Amino acid sequence: MNTMPEKQMLSAAALKEIQDIRKNYPTARAALLPALYVAQREFGWLSPEAYEAVSDHLGVPKAIARGVGTFYAMYKHKPLGRHVVQLCTNVSCMILGAERLVDLLKNKYGLEPGGTTADNRFSLVIMECIGACGTAPAMLVNDDFHENLTDKNIIEILERYT
Amino acid sequence: MENVLLKNIENPNSADIKEYMAVGGYVSLAKAFEKSPKEIIDEVKKAGLRGRGGAGFPVAMKWTFASGDPKTPKYLLCNADEGEPGTFKDRPILEKNPHVLIEGMAISGYALGAEYGFIYLRGEYPAAKHILDKAIAQAYEKGFLGENIAGNGVRFHLAVHQGAGAYICGEETALIESLEGDKGQPRIKPPFPVNVGVFSKPTVVNNVETLSNLPYLISIGGEAYAKIGSPDCPGPKIYCVSGHVERPGVYELPMGTNLRDIIYTHCGGIKGGRKLKAVIPGGISTPVLPPDKIDCAMDFVNMPKHGSMLGSGAVIVMDESVCLVKVCYRALKFFEHESCGKCTPCREGTGWLRSILGRIEQGTGAEGDIDLLLSVAANMIGKTFCPLGDGAASVVQNFIKHFRPEFEEHIRAQACVVQGQK
Amino acid sequence: MITVTINGKEIKLEKAVTVLEAARSAGIKIPTLCYHEQLERYGGCRLCLVEVEKMPRLQTACTLMAADGMIVRTETEAIADVRRGILEFLLINHPLDCPYCDKAGECELQDLVEKYGPTTSRFKEKKRKVTENLQDPVIVRNMERCVMCTRCVRMCEGVQGAAAIGVINRGGHSHIEPFSGNKYDCEYCGNCVSVCPVGAIMSRLHRHSYRPWQVKEKVETVCPYCGVGCTVVAQVRDDVIKRVIPRIGSPVNNGMLCSRGRFGYEFVGHPDRLTAPLIRKNGVLEETTWEEAIGFVAKRLTEIKGKHGGNAVAGIASPRCTNEDNYIFQKFLRVTLGTNNIDSTARMGYAGAQAFIENIFGQGATGNIISGLANSDTVLVVGGDPTTVNPILGLQIRACSRKGGTILTIGHVRGLQHFSPVELDPGAMLETTLLECLVLSLLDRKGLPGSNPALEAKIKAVHADNAEFLKNSCITKEGLADFVDKLGSSGTPAVVIGKDLLQTAGSGYRLFLVCAINYIVNGRVYLLSDHANEQGLLDMGCAPDLLPGYRPLSYAEFRKRYETAWKTPLPEKPGLNIFEMIGAAENGTLKALYVMGENPVFNLPDAATVTASLKKLELLVVQDIFLTETGRLADVVLPALSWAEKDGTFTNMERRIQRVRKAVNREGMADWQIITEVARNMSGKAHYTGAVAVFEEIARVSPLHRDLSYDEIEQGNVIYPYKGEPLRGSAEDIAVQKPAAAAEGTISLAIDRLLFHSGTLSRKSPALIKIYPEAVARIHPETAVSLSLAEGDVIRISSQSGKIELPVVLDRHAGRSSVLVPNIFEGTGALRLAGMGLDPVLKAPAINGTPVTIERIGKVTP
Repeated sequence: MNTMPEKQMLSAAALKEIQDIRKNYPTARAALLPALYVAQREFGWLSPEAYEAVSDHLGVPKAIARGVGTFYAMYKHKPLGRHVVQLCTNVSCMILGAERLVDLLKNKYGLEPGGTTADNRFSLVIMECIGACGTAPAMLVNDDFHENLTDKNIIEILERYT
Repeated sequence: MENVLLKNIENPNSADIKEYMAVGGYVSLAKAFEKSPKEIIDEVKKAGLRGRGGAGFPVAMKWTFASGDPKTPKYLLCNADEGEPGTFKDRPILEKNPHVLIEGMAISGYALGAEYGFIYLRGEYPAAKHILDKAIAQAYEKGFLGENIAGNGVRFHLAVHQGAGAYICGEETALIESLEGDKGQPRIKPPFPVNVGVFSKPTVVNNVETLSNLPYLISIGGEAYAKIGSPDCPGPKIYCVSGHVERPGVYELPMGTNLRDIIYTHCGGIKGGRKLKAVIPGGISTPVLPPDKIDCAMDFVNMPKHGSMLGSGAVIVMDESVCLVKVCYRALKFFEHESCGKCTPCREGTGWLRSILGRIEQGTGAEGDIDLLLSVAANMIGKTFCPLGDGAASVVQNFIKHFRPEFEEHIRAQACVVQGQK
Repeated sequence: MITVTINGKEIKLEKAVTVLEAARSAGIKIPTLCYHEQLERYGGCRLCLVEVEKMPRLQTACTLMAADGMIVRTETEAIADVRRGILEFLLINHPLDCPYCDKAGECELQDLVEKYGPTTSRFKEKKRKVTENLQDPVIVRNMERCVMCTRCVRMCEGVQGAAAIGVINRGGHSHIEPFSGNKYDCEYCGNCVSVCPVGAIMSRLHRHSYRPWQVKEKVETVCPYCGVGCTVVAQVRDDVIKRVIPRIGSPVNNGMLCSRGRFGYEFVGHPDRLTAPLIRKNGVLEETTWEEAIGFVAKRLTEIKGKHGGNAVAGIASPRCTNEDNYIFQKFLRVTLGTNNIDSTARMGYAGAQAFIENIFGQGATGNIISGLANSDTVLVVGGDPTTVNPILGLQIRACSRKGGTILTIGHVRGLQHFSPVELDPGAMLETTLLECLVLSLLDRKGLPGSNPALEAKIKAVHADNAEFLKNSCITKEGLADFVDKLGSSGTPAVVIGKDLLQTAGSGYRLFLVCAINYIVNGRVYLLSDHANEQGLLDMGCAPDLLPGYRPLSYAEFRKRYETAWKTPLPEKPGLNIFEMIGAAENGTLKALYVMGENPVFNLPDAATVTASLKKLELLVVQDIFLTETGRLADVVLPALSWAEKDGTFTNMERRIQRVRKAVNREGMADWQIITEVARNMSGKAHYTGAVAVFEEIARVSPLHRDLSYDEIEQGNVIYPYKGEPLRGSAEDIAVQKPAAAAEGTISLAIDRLLFHSGTLSRKSPALIKIYPEAVARIHPETAVSLSLAEGDVIRISSQSGKIELPVVLDRHAGRSSVLVPNIFEGTGALRLAGMGLDPVLKAPAINGTPVTIERIGKVTP
C-alpha cells in the first residue's frame, strides 16, 4: 500500500510538454486527456505505470485517470505493434467493402481485429467513422489517412510501413 | 453559388494564413470590430443562422443567453468532434480552410464576450491537429488572436483540445465534461452550458461549420445572408455524400437543396446505374428513407416533415446490393460501442438490439424477433438521458418501418437474402 | 413558496428541491437506484421517470427541480410499464443468485422487481459473467451483480474523496474496479459498501454468516475509536456484532464511516479477551475469582493508604472508557483514597494544549462543530494529517475544498494532496521559523485586533528574519506571500491542530505561534483527538488539577462544592501527572498504581524506563479488556467489559455528549462497576444501580453537566453547555519559551499515525490487521539512498531509549530527515524510542524529532 517500487518514468521532455499543456487550462484535471496522449506516446500504451506517472504529475487520482482514459477509444491499454492500422468499418466504408479488407489483412498478415502481428509490425484497430466516408473505404495508419482503399492498394500502402 | 466555407480549398496551401488573407480572409474580423457585440448578435439573428451540428438551434439565441450571463470569463467552444457516421463536412474546413474557422471564432468570441476558445477536435483527425495548431500560431502572430486583437483591446485566446475517440462528445455537455478532463458523459440540464458550462462558466458550443459561417455572414450582412437557401434556415450548407453515388464528396450548396438533386444532379446518380435502395440523409442516427421518399428539401425544418432529419447533412446512399439488416446491425454495433454507459436503457438496450440484429443477420433469428426489436426500442425511446439512445432505437424502428419484409425474409430463410454484396 | 402537485396531492415547498425530494417530503415514494441522498444528482438509472404535465418527455424526478405549478404523476400504468422495461434492462446482466447473495432482503433491485416485475426475461443471450473477487481482505465484490448506478464511485470520489475506484471502459462494457483491478489501494472506509444498492460490493466480515432479516438488535451507539465520535449502528445476532454501519442523518458523520469505525469491531469477540481476573502468585499471573481479586486489591490499597497516605497511590484513567467509568474512577481516587494523583494519556499533548488554548481564547474554545469545517472559507492544517487521525473530520476539510474553500497546510498532508492544498513545507527543522514568519507577515497585513492585550504583548515579542528564512528554506517569497494572502483574507478561517505539533520539541512555543495566527485571523480552533473519550475524561476530572465539570482544583469554591457533594474533604494540592507518576514509582514515593483501560508501557515514551518504574511498585492493578504489555507487569489484572457491552456516554472533541449503548451481552463488569466494587470493599459505601445512576450523579454535581439526562442526550445534539471565560488562567498565564534550535543533520523519529489502526483495539481487530498487518518504517526514497537502504531491507532503529527492528518501505510522502514509525504493534512501537523529555510549557513529551540511528540488519524474507 505504501510501497514505492521503481517505476517507469516520463521523460523530462514529456514532463515539460505536460507542464506546457497544463498552462492552457484553468484546472489541472482539464489537462488529463492531452497528458494521457503524451504518456501514451512515451510508453507506447497506457500501462498502469503511465497512469501513475500522469496522476503524480497532474495531481489527479490514478483511479480517476484510468477511468477517464479507458472511456476513450483512442487510448490503448495493451502494447501495440510498430504501426497501428486503424481501419474504418462503419456503414459508408462497410458498403464499399471494408469488411473484405479486414479479411484481406487476416489472410495476408495474420492480423486480427484488435490483434498484433507476430513480428510486432502491425496492430489492427477497427474504427468507427473516421470522417473519410466520401473516399471510403479508408484507414489511418498511425497518423496518416489513406483513402479510396482497394484490395490492391491497401497492401501497397501497408508495405511502405516496415 | 460559389464556395464560401470551402473557398480556395483547391489551393494546396489554402491552410496558410497568407493564402487565406489573399482571398479576403480576416477582413470580416476587422469589420466585426466596427460593430458592437450586440450588433453582431443582431446580424446573426437577422441572418437566421442555425447551428450546423445537427439540432439546428438558432445561434443568436444561444449567444444572447451566454452574453447576458454576468459570470466571467466566458468560453467559446468549437465542436469539431465530427463523429456521426457518414459525416465528413468539417474535416475539409479544419484541414484546408482552418482560418475561416479561426476568424469565425474570433468574431464570435468578440460578439459573446468570450475571452477563451477551445476547438474540441476529435482524436481521429491527427492531421487537422497539426494544421490547426499551425494556423492558430499564425493567427496569434498576425494579432488576430491574443490579448489585444488587432489593437482593438479585445482578448481572445484559442487552443486545440484533442478528443480521444468518443462519439458522445459531440453532445455539448459531454464535450464540456471531456474538455474538463472527465469521461464524456452528458450533464444534467438545466443548468445549460450558456450559464454553467465549462469550468462552471458561461459557455457557447458551436459546430465548426456554424462558426465558419461567421466571416461570410458579417461580410454580406444578416439580411443578405438570410436570402440564401431555405427561408426558415438560410445560408450555405455543406452536404457530404457517401456510398453508392458516382461522385461522392462534399458539396457546399444553399441550405434546403433537394435530396434527390443532391444525389442525382450533384453526385451524378447511383454508381454504375444501379438501383437505389435506401438513403440515410443526415448521418447514421437520422431515419433512413426509401427511394420514393427522397424528394425533400434538406434543411432542419423541412426534413422532419418527411419523416427524417437533416442531422449533419451526411447523405449515405445505398444501392440494391446492400443488405439493410446488416447496415442496421452495423449501426447498432456503432451505438453500442459509443453508448457512454450512464443511463440504463442506452447502456443495456443498444447491446441487446445489436445482439438480436446480429442473430437475424447471421441467420439464426427467430419468429418474434422483429417484435422484440420494436419492443426493446420502444423501451428506450424517450427514456434515455441524451439523444444517443433515442437515435439508436429510432434507427431500428425506421429500418423496420421501411424495410420490414427484408428482416422477415432473413428470419424465414435463416440467411442473408440480399444478393451481390460481400 | 413553490407549490407542486404530485399524484393529486398539493405540496408546498420552502426552497427549491427536486421533484423526488418534494415527493418524499410528502410521503410519496418514487423508485430509485442511482439516487442517493448523500450524493450529487445523477439521473442514470431512469427508474424515477415520471409524467409532468406540459413536458413532452418523461422526466427523471431525481434531477428535475420542482417548479411552481408543476403537476406530476408518479404511478400511472404507463410509468409502471416504463419501470418494468428499465428493470428488464437491468436484469439482462444481473445474475438471479438471490438465494446465495448476502444482499437479499435488503437489496433495492430485488425490492423493485418484486414491485414492478418483470416476471420473465426476453433476453436470450448469455449474461455477463464476472467471478466473485476475494482478492481483498475486507471487501468482497460480485461485479456481475452491479447495476452501474455508480453510487460507489460517486461516494468514493465525491464524498469520501479517496477516488480509489472508477468506472472502467464505457457503455455496456463499463465496470467498476479499483485502480489495480483487484485489491483496493484505498482508505477502506467502506462507504462504497454503504451505498451499493445491490450485492455487488459488500463487507467480507459477515459474508454468508447471516441474513439481514435475522438481525434482532440494531443498536445505535458511538464509535469506540477516535475523538470524532461517529454514530454507528451495531447489528447484532446471537450476541455477536455482525456488522457496523453508519446512519444517514446522524449529526457527526451523517452516513459516513472510516475503516476503523466500520471494520474494527471484531475485537469485541476476540478470543484473547480477558475472561477472568488474574492475580500474581509466585511471580505468575493466574486466573482467580472476582471475590479474591477485588478483595486483594481493596486490602492492599487500604494497607498502602494506611501506611503511606493516599498520595502513595495513583490512577491512570482511560480515554477509551466512558464518562461514567472515568467519573467513578477519579471519585474513587479522590474520595476513597484521598489523592489527586489521577491523570491519563491526554497528557501526551491534548490536555496541555487545550488548557493553553483555553487560557487565550476561553473555555470551550476547541469545542467547535466538526461539520462547520466544510463551511469555512479557509482551513489551516498544522501538525499532522487530520484524515488519518480523525478521518471523518478530514472529510469535512475535503468538503471545504470541494466547495471552493482554501486548504492551507504547514507541512505535507498526504490525505489532502488531491484537494488543492496550498502547502508550505520547510521541513521539520525550520517549521518554527516558518510559523514566526507567518505571525509577522499576518501582523503586517492585518495588525492586532486589540481584544487581548496580554496576548498581544507576547505576540509583539515574536521576531524572525524573513529573508534569512527564505534563504535557508525551499520556500519562495511568492509562496509565502500567497499563503499569507490567502490566510489573511479569509473571513471564516479554521485552524486544525494535530498531535505532531504537540509531540515535538518546542511544542509549547509552536502552539503559541499557531494561537497567535489564529488570534490575528480570528479563526476557530480544532484540536485533533485520537481517542473516543479523551475530552470526556478531562471533563470528568481525570486530571491532577481538574475536578469534574472541567473545574480547576485550585479554586476553593469548586473544591468545596465537591466536598459537599461527596461528603469528603478533598486534597488541595494538585496530584501527580502521568509522567510524574512514573518518576514517583521510580523513586519509590509512589507505591501503588491503578491503571484503568490504558497501557502506559506501550503508550508512554521510553518503555524501558516505564517498565522498570512500574516493576518497583508495591501494587500494580491493571483493568482492561486484553492482557496488555502493562497488564503483564501487574499484580492483579481485572477484565472489563468493552464498549459494546456496557452503557454510558462519550464526549467527543466537539464536546458533544453521546450515548454509548450496550449492544451485546457478556459476563463481567463495566470499569465503573469494578471500581465501585473495589471502593465498596474499602469503605462499604459506594453503590450505583447502573450507568444511568452514575450519570445522574454527574448531572447533579458537575456544573457542566447540570440537569443533563440520558433522555435529553438520546434526543441528540447535546453539546458541552458551557463556553466562556477561561477558568484556569488567562493569556497572561501562558508561558512563551522559544526553544533552542535542534541539532541538524540527524535522522529523527516521527510518529506514523495510521488510518487503519488505533492501538489496543485495532490490533485485536482481524479486519484491520488484514488491511495493515504489520509495522513498517517509512523512509523517503532520497533519504533511503543516503542511508544505502532499499525497499524490503530490515533495519534496526536505535535511540537513547531503545531500539526496534522493522522492514523499510520507501515513501515519497515521508519527511526527508525522518523515519516514520507507527505506535501500534507490540514490540515495535515508536514510543519506546522516545525519551521522557517534556516540553516546559505543555508538559507533553517530545516524541517527533527524537534522534535515532539506523542500521541495516537484513532483508525481508519473501
